[in-house]
Parts: sequence; C-alpha cells; structure tokens
Amino acid sequence: MPKRGIIARIKKIKSDEDKIAVEDALKHLYDCEFKKLDCSLNSLTGNLGLKPNQIAQVISKLESMSLVTLFNGKINLTEHGRDYATRVVRIHRLWERYLAENTSVSENEWHVIAEEREHETTDEVAEWLSARLGNPLVDPHGDPIPNKSGEILSKDGVTLNNLGEEKYARIIHIEDEPKEVYAQLTAFGLYPGMQIKILENTKDKVRFLADGHECLLAPVLAANLTVQEIDKKEIVTENFDNLTALEIDEVATVVGISNAMRGQQRRRMLDFGIVPGTTIYTRLKSLKGDPSAYEVRGALIALRKNQSDLIHIKKLKAS
Amino acid sequence: MINKREEILKQATRYRWEIGENLHDSILESIYSEAANIAKVVVTRDNEKRKFDWDRWIDKLVTGKWTGFPIMFLLLAVVFWLTISGANVPSALLASLLVDTIHPILKSGAEYLYFPWWLSGVLIDGAYLALAWVISVMLPPMAIFFPLFTLLEDFGYLPRVAFNMDNLYKRVGAHGKQALTMSMGFGCNAAGVIAARIIDSPRERLIAIITNNFSLCNGRWPTQILIATIFIGGAVHPMLAGFTSAAAVMSVAVLGVFFSLIVSWLLSKSVLKGEASAFSLELPPYRPPRFLQTLYTSLIDRTLMVLWRAVVFAAPAGIAIWLVSNITIADITLAEYFVKNVNPYAAIIGLNGVIILAYIIAVPANEIVIPTVLMLTALTSNIAGFGSGAGVMFEMDSLSDTEMLLRSGGWTLLTGINLMLFSLLHNPCSTTIYTIYKETKSLKWTLISTFLPIAMGIVICFFVAQFWRLLV
Repeated sequence: MPKRGIIARIKKIKSDEDKIAVEDALKHLYDCEFKKLDCSLNSLTGNLGLKPNQIAQVISKLESMSLVTLFNGKINLTEHGRDYATRVVRIHRLWERYLAENTSVSENEWHVIAEEREHETTDEVAEWLSARLGNPLVDPHGDPIPNKSGEILSKDGVTLNNLGEEKYARIIHIEDEPKEVYAQLTAFGLYPGMQIKILENTKDKVRFLADGHECLLAPVLAANLTVQEIDKKEIVTENFDNLTALEIDEVATVVGISNAMRGQQRRRMLDFGIVPGTTIYTRLKSLKGDPSAYEVRGALIALRKNQSDLIHIKKLKAS
Repeated sequence: MINKREEILKQATRYRWEIGENLHDSILESIYSEAANIAKVVVTRDNEKRKFDWDRWIDKLVTGKWTGFPIMFLLLAVVFWLTISGANVPSALLASLLVDTIHPILKSGAEYLYFPWWLSGVLIDGAYLALAWVISVMLPPMAIFFPLFTLLEDFGYLPRVAFNMDNLYKRVGAHGKQALTMSMGFGCNAAGVIAARIIDSPRERLIAIITNNFSLCNGRWPTQILIATIFIGGAVHPMLAGFTSAAAVMSVAVLGVFFSLIVSWLLSKSVLKGEASAFSLELPPYRPPRFLQTLYTSLIDRTLMVLWRAVVFAAPAGIAIWLVSNITIADITLAEYFVKNVNPYAAIIGLNGVIILAYIIAVPANEIVIPTVLMLTALTSNIAGFGSGAGVMFEMDSLSDTEMLLRSGGWTLLTGINLMLFSLLHNPCSTTIYTIYKETKSLKWTLISTFLPIAMGIVICFFVAQFWRLLV
C-alpha cells in the first residue's frame, strides 16, 4: 500500500519538531482544501507561527516526499498528502471527542491537548480510541471525523453572518481556532446542534436567539459559526427556561438536555429518566440553592446548578 | 461476502450521519414514554400520597435553612457521645480479660511447657499482646459507631446530609457525600475509604479516598485525649484543665476537617484536574430502619472485616515490636540504637526518636502507638519499675505515673503538641493503606495517600517547633 510507504517515510524524519511542523503544515493545507480556499505561503506562515525560511524548508521537505505540489505559488496536496493529512485530522478529532466525553478537561483546552497528542498517537491507539468512543462521526465542535480509510462526510452550511434575518438554523460547527475567539463563543453557551433564530443581521452586529437567550456577536466572530438552515416547524426550543429557574413546588415539562452536557454526566441524567416530556417538580433548595432537589418520576434527585442550567424546561400551571 | 459487509457498514454510517448525534436520547425518550404508558394501565397506587407528604415534611425539616445544620450537628454529637461513653466499659472489660488475665495465663502456660524465653516473648509478648490491644481498643467503639451510622443511613437521613453539605464540597472540587465518608473515617479510615464507593464519580471518589486519613480515627482519639490531658491540661490552672484539654482535642479534629477540605481543593486543581467527573445524588424515600438487619450487616461487613484486617497486620507488628526491643548488638538493643541516632533529627520537628520508632513499627494500628511509646520510653531511658520487660507493651491506670514516665523520657509541652499534630498528620495505618490499594487498584494513588499526609505532618511539626523555640 502506498499509504504505508508514506507513513513509514514520515516516521523516519529524525527530529520530532520537524515531524510536528510537517504534520501541522499538511493539516493546514487540508483545512484550506476543505474550505475551498487557495493556500499560499503567507497563510501557512501565519498559521504555523514559523519564520519564512523555516516554512520554505518544510515546504521543500513536503515536496521532496511528494506530499504536495507547487504550482504558480499555490500549494496543493497530492493524493498521498491528503491521505496523511486526514489521518492526522482523524486522530486530532478523536482526541477532542475523547477529552469531551471521558474527562473533565475544560472546553478551551481540548484543542490544545489534541494538538499535542495528534503527533504522538500511533494508528493502533487511534483505532482503540475510536472503538472505545463507539466510532463517533463528529468531534465536539461538530466537525466530521474521517474514517479509517480517510473518507469524510460533509454537511453544507453557511457561516452565521451570511444568514438572513428571521431565519431559523442549527449550528453545525464552531471553529476552534483561534482559541480566544472559541473561548468567547463557548462563553455564550453555544454548541453544535443548538437551534438559533436570527433577529438582526447588519454589517455591525449579528443578533440572534440561542436556546431562548439573546446573543449579540460582531460579524467577524459570527463568521466562526457554521449553521444549517432549518424549517420553522422543526423548532422546539423557542422561549423556554432552564431548570434552575423553576421555583419550589412549581412544575414543568422537560424540553431537552443541552448538548453541552456530555459523556457520563449526560447518561446519568437519562438514567434518572430526565428526557423530553418528563414532568419535573422542584422540591428542595439547599442553603444557597445549589444543589436543589427535583422530583422526577416519583424519585427525589439532587442536581447542582451547573447541571440544572443545562436542562431546558417549559413551565406548567400547577395542578 | 466482503463487499456486502462493507456495503452494509457504509450504509449504517450514512444513516448514523443523517440521524445525528442525539439518537441515544430519542431511543431512551421513547422507552420511557412507552414504560409510562404501560405502567399507567397495569399499576395501581394507593396511600402513596400520604407517605410522600410525610417525606416532604421531614425533608423540609432536615434540609431547612434554620433547622438543617443544627439537626445534623446534634445527631453527629449524639452518635459520638454514645460511641465514646458506651465503649468505655466493654473496652475496659476486654482489656482486663485479654491483657490482665489471659496474658499471664499464657505466659505461665509457656513456662510450664518449657518454651524458650524468646519464643514465648515473640509469640505471647509480641504477637498476642498486639492482637489483644487492637481488639480491646478497636472492637467496642466500632461495634457501636458503625451500627448507629448504618441506622441513620438505612432511615435515609445520610443522603440529606450530603445534600446540605454539597455546596461547601463543591467549592473544593469534591462531592457532598464526602461529608459522609469523612464522618465514617472518624470511626475508622479503612471503613471510610470503603465507604467512598457511594461516590460514583471517579474523580470525587479518589479525592474522598485520599483525604479520608485527615479524619481522626477511633485509634487516634485515645492518643489525643491522653496527651492533651497530660500536657495541655497540665499546663493550665486545674480548674480549666478538663475544658482546655477537651478543646485541644476538638481543635485537632477540626483542623483535620480543615486539612481535608484544603487538600481536596488542591488535588482537584492539580493532579486530579482532568479526571472524569459527574455529579449525582439521589434522595431516597424515608423508611423505618430495620434494626436487626442493620446490626447484622454493619457488624459483619464493617466492624468484623476491618477488625480482621487489623488483626492480620497487628500480629506481625507485635513480633517486630518485641524483636527491636530484644535483639541486641554489643548489649544495646536495636530500639535504643535507633532512638539514640534519630533523636537529634526528631528534635528538629519537635518530636523524639521513640515517637518516630513507635510510628514506624506500630504502622498496622494507631491503637498500639501509645503502649509502644510507653514501653520504648521505659526501655531507652532505663527507667525501672514500669511495665513488665523489654518488648512488652503496657498502659498505666494512673495518669500521673504516665506523665512521670514521659517527662523523665524528656517530654515537654512542645513534644505533646507536636505528637498530637503528628498523630493527625501521618501515614494511614497499614490496614487503610492496603484498603486504599484494593479500592483504587493503583500504586500511584496509594503512594500519594500514604506520603502526602506524612510530608504535611513533618512540615507543620517543623514550623511549630521552630516558632516555639523562638517564642518560648
């Protein structure tokens, strides 16, 4: 298999730093290709944070291994290059998924840690990781994970700043680079799968409803969100509260659990029977209101505020 | 064949892609609604409303703003009071039976059978006496404390304590149920470590296990009380002696709780930062406790199991204690040799060689630390008239005799205070260490739980000793 040959050749690169630079360059080229952008030497320099002469070295190394071709100042991936890049992307996204589901590493660190681990993970470990996670199709940012043979599924979407006013959409991707921007977006509680409604879209600001809360973003930031337009009839998550807002002895119906609640924590909620349609009462609040106890299906369950914040409800009139 | 398989897999992936990530949720949702529909048809309920209202009323009381914490402290105080005052009589009975009656009988029996002196020494003065001590000090309090605790658990009260305490524990990155494992640790740290099973989130469970040693266990209370009575009570006016020494013991226990919170916080922010964490706490319905069943299970599962482990470790320790006090090189026993060499270093942290040696060879059980200290003090300072020979642990009925012995061994108020601190902050007993290994299946966490408290103990005793010498 030619792919084997390439991997073997890359593995022969002596210094780890060189390997990291080569892999990062391939990943960036792949990303440009995926977004149908032309990749120049400049964008590569900016992205990898290397000096121009170092970049030239990396490019010539890539060319000598026939991973890229240079044509009119544009850099294009060869078939082998694409294979190799999807492998690195696959490992990166698997790690992000793992960190999101199986650890309590904070959201802003997923990308950073995955950036390190993608260079040192062997194919065997990657397969084990994938199997352990149930062969996931997307990473926690909503990006598709390429399969073992490098195939990747795609969704068509537009960036948020290009969506018309009064339109409904579902977030399908949150760009995790640069990380300062990602931190700002997640601070709003945005997550892939979230349903939104555009209220206002001008060249100064984008105003939209996300899970019932109003968010305001600069168009530059909004460009980091990819959304898919949906029909109005799909909308279920408009005008609702979260469980924290339910006062003692009030009653509500669960509308859904936010996708920001993941892994073991999410499964625990489902085990308790907290699913859409469940009737839920607030019964006790501890001294500071955190935790509070809720009656669900005849059982009394205590939840912390950071959990009840992620459970969406619709209040009912007390019976 | 292979092509077909590939095709099916591809098709499956395509479907998964189209359905999206929330398939699991949707399936569960339909299972629950189906189950609810079936239950509506086939299950009849009566009287449940009244029972539920009654539960709600108790809940309002035990988690209420003004009533929750007072009830909690009151119940805890009652449990401790019953344990301490209730254990005195059976402890004294067991000690007089096992130590004062059976021990001499065994000794004379051995003499009658012409045992060589060293054999009866190793077996009877060493192994048997250590066993006898551990059983008589450990068994009665545990046989009272664990059933009482289990009754509260069975009634359904303990999860409400976790509910009340969770806000505090959340701030230090731990689980409210750690309040329960900590209280259990006041009885026995090994039992506390096992109790950490009730915490199902891996990270919070590890925190509870590692910090359990900061609960002053049953084996350390007598040490605290004895040393506080002699040195701290002795340092103030006799009118205030009782109150002051009791306050000193309570401050050490409270200091332990404080350390458990600080260390929980540090652990959750450092080594345990990325470990998986998920909070859940169920508040089960109240029910009348089942006394007999509770008594049986708490005696078998907790008391006897812990006692058995302690006994297994105590016998070899008894042998070691006897050996170091009787094996001599050029007429000097190993114990004296060790104590003489370690004394200058131990003085830096305000302790002495005897205490260090006692904590090393009495690692199986904190219960035998004081008898070992007394025996070693008598041995190494060549004071005649105390105890019954090298390697034979003893305790004295008279407080003033104990005080005289310790003072002639060079003890001061600083030694007393630092021993109280070191008794709180040192490695867990070997029973607990073994239990931690069995529960975590990890050498790393076992080593951390063992050496973290001892490092803290050395550092704190060092600073106390230095400030003491500067100021006093």
